[in-house]
Amino acid sequence: MQVVLGLTSLLLTMLILLHKGRGGGLSDMFGGGMTSNLGASGVAERNLNRITVILGLVWVSSIIVLGLITKFDTGL
Amino acid sequence: MFSAIARIFRTPDLRRKIGFTLGMVALFRLGSFIPAPFVDFNSVQQCLAATSDTSGLYELVNLFSGGALLQLSIFALGIMPYITASIIVQLLRVVIPHFETLYKEGQSGQSTLTQYTRYLTIALAVLQSTTLITVARSGALFGSSGGPACTQLLTNDAWYAIMLMVLTMTAGTGVIMWMGELITERGVGNGMSLLIFTSIAAMFPNSLGRIAASKGWGTLAIVIAIGLVVVAAVVFVEQSQRRIPVQYAKRMVGRRTYGGNNTYIPIKVNMAGVIPVIFASSLLYLPALIAQFNQPAPGQEPQPWVLWVTANLTGGGQPLYMALYFLLIVGFTYFYVAITFNPEEVADNMKKYGGFIPGIRAGRPTAEYLDYVLTRITLPGALYLGIIALLPLVAFSAVGADQNFPFGGASILIIVGVGLETVKQIDSQLQQRHYEGLLR
Repeated sequence: MQVVLGLTSLLLTMLILLHKGRGGGLSDMFGGGMTSNLGASGVAERNLNRITVILGLVWVSSIIVLGLITKFDTGL
Repeated sequence: MFSAIARIFRTPDLRRKIGFTLGMVALFRLGSFIPAPFVDFNSVQQCLAATSDTSGLYELVNLFSGGALLQLSIFALGIMPYITASIIVQLLRVVIPHFETLYKEGQSGQSTLTQYTRYLTIALAVLQSTTLITVARSGALFGSSGGPACTQLLTNDAWYAIMLMVLTMTAGTGVIMWMGELITERGVGNGMSLLIFTSIAAMFPNSLGRIAASKGWGTLAIVIAIGLVVVAAVVFVEQSQRRIPVQYAKRMVGRRTYGGNNTYIPIKVNMAGVIPVIFASSLLYLPALIAQFNQPAPGQEPQPWVLWVTANLTGGGQPLYMALYFLLIVGFTYFYVAITFNPEEVADNMKKYGGFIPGIRAGRPTAEYLDYVLTRITLPGALYLGIIALLPLVAFSAVGADQNFPFGGASILIIVGVGLETVKQIDSQLQQRHYEGLLR
Protein backbone atom coordinates (compact mmCIF):
# COMPACT_ATOMS: atom_id res chain seq x y z
CA MET A 1 0.00 0.00 0.00
CA GLN A 2 2.84 2.37 0.83
CA VAL A 3 4.46 1.68 -2.52
CA VAL A 4 1.16 2.42 -4.27
CA LEU A 5 0.86 5.70 -2.41
CA GLY A 6 4.42 6.70 -3.23
CA LEU A 7 4.00 5.89 -6.91
CA THR A 8 0.62 7.62 -7.24
CA SER A 9 1.94 10.73 -5.47
CA LEU A 10 4.85 11.01 -7.86
CA LEU A 11 2.71 10.33 -10.93
CA LEU A 12 0.02 12.75 -9.80
CA THR A 13 2.56 15.54 -9.36
CA MET A 14 3.97 14.84 -12.83
CA LEU A 15 0.53 14.75 -14.45
CA ILE A 16 -0.52 18.00 -12.85
CA LEU A 17 2.64 19.65 -14.10
CA LEU A 18 1.74 18.43 -17.58
CA HIS A 19 -1.48 20.42 -17.56
CA LYS A 20 -1.54 23.77 -19.18
CA GLY A 21 -1.58 26.44 -16.54
CA ARG A 22 -4.61 28.68 -16.42
CA GLY A 23 -4.93 32.02 -14.80
CA GLY A 24 -1.80 34.08 -14.61
CA GLY A 25 -0.20 34.81 -11.31
CA LEU A 26 -1.03 37.20 -8.57
CA SER A 27 -2.18 40.22 -10.44
CA ASP A 28 -5.58 38.78 -11.21
CA MET A 29 -5.56 36.80 -8.00
CA PHE A 30 -6.36 39.61 -5.60
CA GLY A 31 -8.63 41.84 -7.60
CA GLY A 32 -7.89 43.62 -10.80
CA GLY A 33 -7.09 42.40 -14.23
CA MET A 34 -9.47 40.71 -16.55
CA THR A 35 -9.57 36.95 -16.74
CA SER A 36 -9.73 35.94 -20.34
CA ASN A 37 -11.67 32.85 -21.21
CA LEU A 38 -9.46 30.77 -23.39
CA GLY A 39 -12.16 28.68 -24.97
CA ALA A 40 -12.53 24.92 -24.98
CA SER A 41 -9.62 22.64 -24.23
CA GLY A 42 -8.40 20.08 -26.71
CA VAL A 43 -8.80 16.32 -26.78
CA ALA A 44 -5.39 15.73 -25.22
CA GLU A 45 -6.23 17.99 -22.33
CA ARG A 46 -9.56 16.22 -21.82
CA ASN A 47 -7.91 12.80 -21.70
CA LEU A 48 -5.29 14.18 -19.34
CA ASN A 49 -8.07 15.45 -17.10
CA ARG A 50 -9.69 12.02 -17.03
CA ILE A 51 -6.44 10.25 -16.16
CA THR A 52 -5.64 12.80 -13.48
CA VAL A 53 -9.06 12.41 -11.86
CA ILE A 54 -8.75 8.60 -11.78
CA LEU A 55 -5.22 8.81 -10.38
CA GLY A 56 -6.40 11.32 -7.79
CA LEU A 57 -9.11 8.91 -6.65
CA VAL A 58 -6.55 6.10 -6.29
CA TRP A 59 -4.29 8.46 -4.37
CA VAL A 60 -6.97 9.55 -1.90
CA SER A 61 -8.22 6.00 -1.34
CA SER A 62 -4.71 4.68 -0.72
CA ILE A 63 -4.17 7.42 1.87
CA ILE A 64 -7.43 6.50 3.58
CA VAL A 65 -6.62 2.76 3.52
CA LEU A 66 -3.17 3.47 4.91
CA GLY A 67 -4.68 5.62 7.66
CA LEU A 68 -7.12 2.86 8.57
CA ILE A 69 -4.32 0.29 8.65
CA THR A 70 -2.22 2.38 11.02
CA LYS A 71 -5.25 3.05 13.19
CA PHE A 72 -6.51 -0.51 13.63
CA ASP A 73 -3.42 -2.60 13.24
CA THR A 74 -0.51 -1.24 15.25
CA GLY A 75 1.39 -4.49 15.00
CA LEU A 76 1.95 -4.17 11.28
CA MET B 1 -31.84 41.50 -5.59
CA PHE B 2 -33.49 38.24 -4.67
CA SER B 3 -35.06 37.84 -8.07
CA ALA B 4 -31.60 38.27 -9.53
CA ILE B 5 -30.35 35.41 -7.35
CA ALA B 6 -33.24 33.28 -8.56
CA ARG B 7 -32.32 34.16 -12.13
CA ILE B 8 -28.76 32.93 -11.55
CA PHE B 9 -30.13 29.49 -10.91
CA ARG B 10 -32.51 29.63 -13.83
CA THR B 11 -29.64 30.21 -16.26
CA PRO B 12 -28.36 26.73 -17.03
CA ASP B 13 -24.83 27.80 -17.92
CA LEU B 14 -24.32 29.88 -14.81
CA ARG B 15 -25.96 27.23 -12.65
CA ARG B 16 -23.50 24.63 -13.88
CA LYS B 17 -20.56 26.94 -13.28
CA ILE B 18 -21.58 27.79 -9.75
CA GLY B 19 -22.31 24.14 -8.99
CA PHE B 20 -18.86 23.15 -10.22
CA THR B 21 -17.21 25.83 -8.08
CA LEU B 22 -19.11 24.81 -4.96
CA GLY B 23 -18.27 21.15 -5.54
CA MET B 24 -14.56 21.91 -5.86
CA VAL B 25 -14.64 24.02 -2.71
CA ALA B 26 -16.36 21.18 -0.86
CA LEU B 27 -13.68 18.72 -2.05
CA PHE B 28 -10.99 21.14 -0.91
CA ARG B 29 -12.47 21.42 2.56
CA LEU B 30 -12.95 17.65 2.77
CA GLY B 31 -9.30 17.06 1.90
CA SER B 32 -8.20 19.41 4.66
CA PHE B 33 -9.56 16.96 7.19
CA ILE B 34 -7.89 13.80 5.89
CA PRO B 35 -4.73 13.31 7.94
CA ALA B 36 -1.52 12.54 6.10
CA PRO B 37 -0.27 8.95 6.45
CA PHE B 38 1.59 8.07 9.66
CA VAL B 39 0.11 11.01 11.52
CA ASP B 40 -1.38 10.14 14.88
CA PHE B 41 -4.78 11.74 14.45
CA ASN B 42 -5.78 11.49 18.12
CA SER B 43 -2.72 13.18 19.56
CA VAL B 44 -2.89 15.92 16.94
CA GLN B 45 -6.46 16.65 17.97
CA GLN B 46 -5.45 16.66 21.65
CA CYS B 47 -2.67 19.12 20.96
CA LEU B 48 -4.96 21.36 18.94
CA ALA B 49 -7.37 21.47 21.85
CA ALA B 50 -4.57 22.13 24.34
CA THR B 51 -3.03 25.04 22.47
CA SER B 52 -6.06 27.17 21.79
CA ASP B 53 -4.12 30.09 20.37
CA THR B 54 -1.84 29.26 17.50
CA SER B 55 1.69 30.34 18.12
CA GLY B 56 2.38 33.53 16.21
CA LEU B 57 5.03 31.88 14.10
CA TYR B 58 2.67 29.81 12.01
CA GLU B 59 -0.27 32.13 12.24
CA LEU B 60 -0.25 33.45 8.69
CA VAL B 61 0.55 30.14 7.06
CA ASN B 62 -2.09 28.40 9.10
CA LEU B 63 -4.56 31.11 8.12
CA PHE B 64 -3.95 30.49 4.43
CA SER B 65 -4.42 26.75 4.77
CA GLY B 66 -7.64 27.10 6.76
CA GLY B 67 -6.25 25.39 9.85
CA ALA B 68 -5.16 22.37 7.83
CA LEU B 69 -1.48 23.03 8.55
CA LEU B 70 -1.63 22.31 12.25
CA GLN B 71 -3.78 19.25 11.60
CA LEU B 72 -1.02 17.84 9.39
CA SER B 73 -3.57 16.90 6.76
CA ILE B 74 -2.81 15.98 3.16
CA PHE B 75 -3.62 19.54 2.12
CA ALA B 76 -1.55 20.93 4.98
CA LEU B 77 0.42 23.36 2.85
CA GLY B 78 -2.66 24.80 1.21
CA ILE B 79 -2.07 27.38 -1.49
CA MET B 80 0.82 29.02 0.31
CA PRO B 81 3.49 27.50 -2.00
CA TYR B 82 1.60 28.78 -5.04
CA ILE B 83 1.28 32.27 -3.56
CA THR B 84 4.97 32.34 -2.68
CA ALA B 85 5.92 31.04 -6.12
CA SER B 86 3.85 33.65 -7.94
CA ILE B 87 5.26 36.43 -5.76
CA ILE B 88 8.78 35.22 -6.53
CA VAL B 89 8.13 34.99 -10.28
CA GLN B 90 6.56 38.42 -10.30
CA LEU B 91 9.50 39.93 -8.45
CA LEU B 92 12.01 38.17 -10.68
CA ARG B 93 10.56 40.13 -13.57
CA VAL B 94 12.46 43.13 -12.24
CA VAL B 95 15.70 41.19 -11.90
CA ILE B 96 15.77 38.83 -14.88
CA PRO B 97 15.29 40.50 -18.30
CA HIS B 98 14.16 37.18 -19.83
CA PHE B 99 11.07 37.16 -17.59
CA GLU B 100 10.25 40.75 -18.49
CA THR B 101 10.36 39.97 -22.22
CA LEU B 102 8.18 36.91 -21.64
CA TYR B 103 5.71 39.04 -19.73
CA LYS B 104 5.50 41.59 -22.52
CA GLU B 105 5.13 38.92 -25.16
CA GLY B 106 1.44 38.54 -24.42
CA GLN B 107 -0.56 35.36 -24.18
CA SER B 108 2.11 32.77 -25.01
CA GLY B 109 4.85 34.38 -22.93
CA GLN B 110 2.57 34.68 -19.95
CA SER B 111 1.59 31.05 -20.14
CA THR B 112 5.30 30.19 -20.06
CA LEU B 113 5.59 32.31 -16.94
CA THR B 114 2.62 30.46 -15.42
CA GLN B 115 4.37 27.20 -16.21
CA TYR B 116 7.50 28.41 -14.37
CA THR B 117 5.30 29.35 -11.44
CA ARG B 118 3.87 25.83 -11.36
CA TYR B 119 7.31 24.19 -11.32
CA LEU B 120 8.44 26.56 -8.61
CA THR B 121 5.30 25.73 -6.62
CA ILE B 122 6.14 22.03 -6.58
CA ALA B 123 9.74 22.77 -5.57
CA LEU B 124 8.58 25.02 -2.75
CA ALA B 125 6.04 22.40 -1.69
CA VAL B 126 8.80 19.80 -1.30
CA LEU B 127 10.82 22.29 0.73
CA GLN B 128 7.97 23.39 2.98
CA SER B 129 6.57 19.92 3.57
CA THR B 130 10.03 18.68 4.57
CA THR B 131 10.34 21.57 7.02
CA LEU B 132 6.87 21.00 8.41
CA ILE B 133 7.38 17.28 8.91
CA THR B 134 10.80 17.76 10.49
CA VAL B 135 9.33 20.27 12.92
CA ALA B 136 6.42 17.93 13.68
CA ARG B 137 8.81 15.04 14.21
CA SER B 138 10.94 16.94 16.69
CA GLY B 139 7.79 17.88 18.58
CA ALA B 140 8.25 21.63 18.25
CA LEU B 141 5.15 22.22 16.11
CA PHE B 142 2.91 23.14 19.01
CA GLY B 143 5.58 24.86 21.10
CA SER B 144 6.17 23.95 24.68
CA SER B 145 2.58 24.37 25.86
CA GLY B 146 1.22 21.20 24.35
CA GLY B 147 2.15 18.54 26.86
CA PRO B 148 3.61 15.08 26.33
CA ALA B 149 1.22 13.97 23.58
CA CYS B 150 2.51 16.67 21.25
CA THR B 151 5.98 15.23 20.97
CA GLN B 152 4.57 12.00 19.54
CA LEU B 153 2.72 13.26 16.49
CA LEU B 154 3.97 10.61 14.08
CA THR B 155 3.35 6.91 14.44
CA ASN B 156 6.37 5.97 12.41
CA ASP B 157 9.45 8.11 11.96
CA ALA B 158 11.59 5.85 9.82
CA TRP B 159 13.13 7.51 6.77
CA TYR B 160 10.74 5.93 4.26
CA ALA B 161 7.73 7.12 6.23
CA ILE B 162 9.08 10.68 6.21
CA MET B 163 9.73 10.39 2.48
CA LEU B 164 6.22 9.16 1.88
CA MET B 165 4.72 12.02 3.90
CA VAL B 166 6.72 14.58 1.95
CA LEU B 167 5.59 13.00 -1.31
CA THR B 168 1.96 12.96 -0.21
CA MET B 169 1.92 16.58 0.90
CA THR B 170 3.63 17.68 -2.30
CA ALA B 171 1.05 15.83 -4.36
CA GLY B 172 -1.65 17.44 -2.20
CA THR B 173 -0.32 20.89 -3.03
CA GLY B 174 -0.33 19.94 -6.70
CA VAL B 175 -3.94 18.79 -6.46
CA ILE B 176 -4.95 22.08 -4.82
CA MET B 177 -3.21 23.99 -7.59
CA TRP B 178 -5.03 21.97 -10.22
CA MET B 179 -8.37 22.46 -8.48
CA GLY B 180 -7.79 26.20 -8.46
CA GLU B 181 -7.04 26.15 -12.17
CA LEU B 182 -10.12 24.07 -12.89
CA ILE B 183 -12.28 26.59 -11.04
CA THR B 184 -10.75 29.43 -13.03
CA GLU B 185 -11.40 27.53 -16.24
CA ARG B 186 -14.86 26.11 -15.71
CA GLY B 187 -16.27 27.82 -12.66
CA VAL B 188 -16.86 31.35 -11.47
CA GLY B 189 -14.14 33.71 -10.37
CA ASN B 190 -10.46 33.14 -9.95
CA GLY B 191 -9.89 29.66 -8.52
CA MET B 192 -6.81 30.34 -6.44
CA SER B 193 -8.27 33.34 -4.69
CA LEU B 194 -11.56 31.53 -4.11
CA LEU B 195 -9.68 28.72 -2.39
CA ILE B 196 -7.86 31.23 -0.18
CA PHE B 197 -11.22 32.83 0.54
CA THR B 198 -12.63 29.46 1.63
CA SER B 199 -9.71 28.73 3.90
CA ILE B 200 -9.98 32.07 5.63
CA ALA B 201 -13.75 31.97 5.92
CA ALA B 202 -13.50 28.48 7.39
CA MET B 203 -11.51 29.88 10.31
CA PHE B 204 -14.19 32.44 11.22
CA PRO B 205 -16.72 30.33 13.16
CA ASN B 206 -13.90 28.76 15.14
CA SER B 207 -12.27 31.97 16.27
CA LEU B 208 -15.62 33.69 16.87
CA GLY B 209 -16.66 30.78 19.05
CA ARG B 210 -13.40 31.06 20.95
CA ILE B 211 -14.00 34.74 21.63
CA ALA B 212 -17.53 33.97 22.81
CA ALA B 213 -16.28 31.22 25.08
CA SER B 214 -13.50 33.23 26.66
CA LYS B 215 -14.93 36.75 26.81
CA GLY B 216 -18.70 36.28 26.77
CA TRP B 217 -21.40 37.17 24.25
CA GLY B 218 -21.17 40.93 24.85
CA THR B 219 -17.62 41.08 23.54
CA LEU B 220 -18.61 38.88 20.62
CA ALA B 221 -21.36 41.34 19.66
CA ILE B 222 -18.88 44.24 19.83
CA VAL B 223 -16.39 42.30 17.73
CA ILE B 224 -19.01 41.52 15.08
CA ALA B 225 -20.18 45.14 15.01
CA ILE B 226 -16.61 46.39 14.56
CA GLY B 227 -16.14 43.77 11.87
CA LEU B 228 -19.16 44.95 9.89
CA VAL B 229 -18.02 48.57 10.08
CA VAL B 230 -14.55 47.57 8.90
CA VAL B 231 -15.98 45.54 6.03
CA ALA B 232 -18.07 48.54 4.92
CA ALA B 233 -15.00 50.77 5.10
CA VAL B 234 -12.90 48.31 3.13
CA VAL B 235 -15.55 47.97 0.42
CA PHE B 236 -15.73 51.76 0.21
CA VAL B 237 -11.98 52.20 -0.20
CA GLU B 238 -11.61 49.25 -2.56
CA GLN B 239 -14.24 50.68 -4.90
CA SER B 240 -12.93 54.22 -4.86
CA GLN B 241 -10.89 55.34 -7.79
CA ARG B 242 -9.72 58.47 -9.52
CA ARG B 243 -10.89 58.74 -13.09
CA ILE B 244 -8.46 60.51 -15.37
CA PRO B 245 -10.40 61.62 -18.44
CA VAL B 246 -9.08 60.53 -21.81
CA GLN B 247 -10.25 61.94 -25.09
CA TYR B 248 -9.81 59.85 -28.22
CA ALA B 249 -9.44 61.61 -31.51
CA LYS B 250 -11.85 60.70 -34.28
CA ARG B 251 -10.15 58.72 -37.03
CA MET B 252 -11.37 57.59 -40.41
CA VAL B 253 -10.07 54.22 -41.54
CA GLY B 254 -11.55 53.39 -44.91
CA ARG B 255 -15.27 54.14 -44.56
CA ARG B 256 -15.47 53.55 -40.83
CA THR B 257 -15.01 56.05 -38.02
CA TYR B 258 -13.09 55.05 -34.98
CA GLY B 259 -12.74 56.75 -31.64
CA GLY B 260 -13.99 60.21 -30.91
CA ASN B 261 -15.28 59.16 -27.52
CA ASN B 262 -14.58 60.11 -23.95
CA THR B 263 -13.28 57.48 -21.56
CA TYR B 264 -11.22 57.52 -18.43
CA ILE B 265 -8.31 55.66 -16.90
CA PRO B 266 -9.43 54.36 -13.52
CA ILE B 267 -6.68 54.65 -10.92
CA LYS B 268 -7.71 52.82 -7.79
CA VAL B 269 -6.80 54.21 -4.41
CA ASN B 270 -5.57 50.82 -3.34
CA MET B 271 -4.01 49.53 -6.50
CA ALA B 272 -1.70 47.06 -4.80
CA GLY B 273 -4.40 44.96 -3.14
CA VAL B 274 -3.35 42.73 -0.27
CA ILE B 275 0.05 41.83 -1.62
CA PRO B 276 2.01 44.42 0.42
CA VAL B 277 0.46 43.04 3.61
CA ILE B 278 1.49 39.51 2.68
CA PHE B 279 5.01 40.68 1.80
CA ALA B 280 5.43 42.61 5.02
CA SER B 281 4.24 39.83 7.27
CA SER B 282 6.34 37.20 5.57
CA LEU B 283 9.40 39.44 5.82
CA LEU B 284 8.80 40.19 9.50
CA TYR B 285 8.41 36.48 10.10
CA LEU B 286 12.08 35.92 9.21
CA PRO B 287 13.73 37.30 12.41
CA ALA B 288 11.42 35.19 14.56
CA LEU B 289 12.29 32.15 12.48
CA ILE B 290 16.04 32.77 12.81
CA ALA B 291 15.67 33.25 16.56
CA GLN B 292 13.75 29.99 16.71
CA PHE B 293 16.61 28.14 15.07
CA ASN B 294 19.16 29.71 17.43
CA GLN B 295 17.46 28.65 20.64
CA PRO B 296 20.16 27.45 23.05
CA ALA B 297 20.35 23.96 24.46
CA PRO B 298 18.52 23.57 27.77
CA GLY B 299 20.44 24.97 30.70
CA GLN B 300 22.47 27.40 28.65
CA GLU B 301 22.11 31.15 28.53
CA PRO B 302 20.67 32.35 25.18
CA GLN B 303 22.64 34.88 23.22
CA PRO B 304 21.70 38.53 23.84
CA TRP B 305 20.51 39.19 20.28
CA VAL B 306 18.17 36.21 20.42
CA LEU B 307 16.65 37.62 23.58
CA TRP B 308 16.31 41.03 21.93
CA VAL B 309 14.60 39.55 18.87
CA THR B 310 12.12 37.55 20.91
CA ALA B 311 11.40 40.59 23.06
CA ASN B 312 10.93 43.06 20.22
CA LEU B 313 10.13 41.40 16.90
CA THR B 314 8.00 38.33 17.42
CA GLY B 315 4.54 39.34 18.47
CA GLY B 316 1.71 41.73 17.88
CA GLY B 317 1.79 43.83 21.07
CA GLN B 318 5.33 45.10 20.69
CA PRO B 319 5.63 48.75 19.54
CA LEU B 320 8.73 48.16 17.45
CA TYR B 321 7.03 45.30 15.61
CA MET B 322 3.96 47.42 14.90
CA ALA B 323 6.03 50.38 13.67
CA LEU B 324 8.14 48.18 11.40
CA TYR B 325 5.06 46.41 10.07
CA PHE B 326 3.42 49.71 9.19
CA LEU B 327 6.52 51.13 7.52
CA LEU B 328 7.12 47.95 5.53
CA ILE B 329 3.54 47.93 4.28
CA VAL B 330 3.75 51.56 3.14
CA GLY B 331 7.05 50.88 1.41
CA PHE B 332 5.87 47.72 -0.28
CA THR B 333 2.69 49.42 -1.49
CA TYR B 334 4.74 51.96 -3.42
CA PHE B 335 7.08 49.23 -4.64
CA TYR B 336 4.28 47.01 -5.88
CA VAL B 337 2.34 49.81 -7.55
CA ALA B 338 5.54 50.78 -9.35
CA ILE B 339 5.85 47.20 -10.61
CA THR B 340 2.27 46.76 -11.76
CA PHE B 341 1.43 50.14 -13.28
CA ASN B 342 3.88 51.61 -15.71
CA PRO B 343 2.91 55.21 -16.62
CA GLU B 344 5.23 55.35 -19.61
CA GLU B 345 3.68 52.24 -21.11
CA VAL B 346 0.16 53.60 -20.63
CA ALA B 347 1.14 56.96 -22.11
CA ASP B 348 2.73 55.21 -25.10
CA ASN B 349 -0.37 53.13 -25.71
CA MET B 350 -2.59 56.18 -25.53
CA LYS B 351 -0.43 57.99 -28.02
CA LYS B 352 -0.56 55.02 -30.38
CA TYR B 353 -4.35 55.03 -30.46
CA GLY B 354 -4.72 58.77 -30.67
CA GLY B 355 -5.80 59.41 -27.11
CA PHE B 356 -4.84 62.29 -24.85
CA ILE B 357 -5.66 63.73 -21.50
CA PRO B 358 -7.29 67.14 -22.01
CA GLY B 359 -4.82 69.90 -21.30
CA ILE B 360 -1.74 67.69 -21.35
CA ARG B 361 0.45 66.91 -24.31
CA ALA B 362 0.79 63.31 -25.44
CA GLY B 363 3.99 61.40 -24.78
CA ARG B 364 6.32 62.25 -21.94
CA PRO B 365 4.23 64.98 -20.26
CA THR B 366 1.35 62.48 -20.06
CA ALA B 367 3.59 59.89 -18.44
CA GLU B 368 4.81 62.48 -15.95
CA TYR B 369 1.26 63.54 -15.15
CA LEU B 370 0.12 59.95 -14.64
CA ASP B 371 3.12 59.31 -12.40
CA TYR B 372 2.31 62.44 -10.37
CA VAL B 373 -1.33 61.41 -9.87
CA LEU B 374 -0.35 57.84 -9.06
CA THR B 375 2.20 58.83 -6.45
CA ARG B 376 -0.23 61.13 -4.71
CA ILE B 377 -3.16 58.73 -4.73
CA THR B 378 -1.06 55.85 -3.46
CA LEU B 379 -0.25 57.69 -0.25
CA PRO B 380 -3.76 57.37 1.28
CA GLY B 381 -3.92 53.85 -0.16
CA ALA B 382 -0.71 52.87 1.60
CA LEU B 383 -1.76 54.46 4.89
CA TYR B 384 -5.12 52.69 4.66
CA LEU B 385 -3.45 49.32 4.09
CA GLY B 386 -1.17 49.89 7.06
CA ILE B 387 -4.05 50.87 9.34
CA ILE B 388 -6.20 47.92 8.27
CA ALA B 389 -3.30 45.55 8.83
CA LEU B 390 -2.56 47.00 12.26
CA LEU B 391 -6.20 46.69 13.28
CA PRO B 392 -6.01 43.18 14.76
CA LEU B 393 -2.95 44.14 16.78
CA VAL B 394 -4.65 47.23 18.18
CA ALA B 395 -7.89 45.37 18.82
CA PHE B 396 -5.93 42.75 20.65
CA SER B 397 -4.80 45.21 23.27
CA ALA B 398 -8.02 47.26 23.36
CA VAL B 399 -10.82 44.68 23.61
CA GLY B 400 -8.60 42.01 25.10
CA ALA B 401 -9.86 39.70 22.39
CA ASP B 402 -7.96 36.81 20.98
CA GLN B 403 -4.83 37.29 18.92
CA ASN B 404 -6.70 35.57 16.10
CA PHE B 405 -9.13 38.44 15.86
CA PRO B 406 -10.78 37.54 12.60
CA PHE B 407 -11.69 40.97 11.25
CA GLY B 408 -8.43 42.50 10.35
CA GLY B 409 -5.25 42.49 8.46
CA ALA B 410 -4.75 40.39 5.44
CA SER B 411 -7.84 38.24 5.97
CA ILE B 412 -10.42 40.99 5.66
CA LEU B 413 -8.77 42.49 2.60
CA ILE B 414 -8.69 39.11 0.89
CA ILE B 415 -12.28 38.27 1.83
CA VAL B 416 -13.67 41.58 0.56
CA GLY B 417 -11.47 41.65 -2.53
CA VAL B 418 -12.29 38.13 -3.63
CA GLY B 419 -15.97 38.52 -2.79
CA LEU B 420 -16.29 41.71 -4.83
CA GLU B 421 -14.43 40.22 -7.76
CA THR B 422 -16.54 37.06 -7.86
CA VAL B 423 -19.82 38.93 -7.57
CA LYS B 424 -18.71 41.22 -10.38
CA GLN B 425 -17.95 38.25 -12.58
CA ILE B 426 -21.33 36.62 -11.93
CA ASP B 427 -22.89 40.00 -12.60
CA SER B 428 -21.25 40.36 -15.98
CA GLN B 429 -22.35 36.83 -16.88
CA LEU B 430 -25.93 37.76 -16.02
CA GLN B 431 -25.78 40.93 -18.04
CA GLN B 432 -24.56 39.02 -21.07
CA ARG B 433 -28.05 37.55 -21.21
CA HIS B 434 -29.76 40.95 -20.97
CA TYR B 435 -30.73 40.46 -17.39
CA GLU B 436 -30.45 43.02 -14.70
CA GLY B 437 -27.41 42.22 -12.59
CA LEU B 438 -26.85 41.75 -8.90
CA LEU B 439 -25.14 45.09 -8.47
CA ARG B 440 -26.93 48.35 -9.00
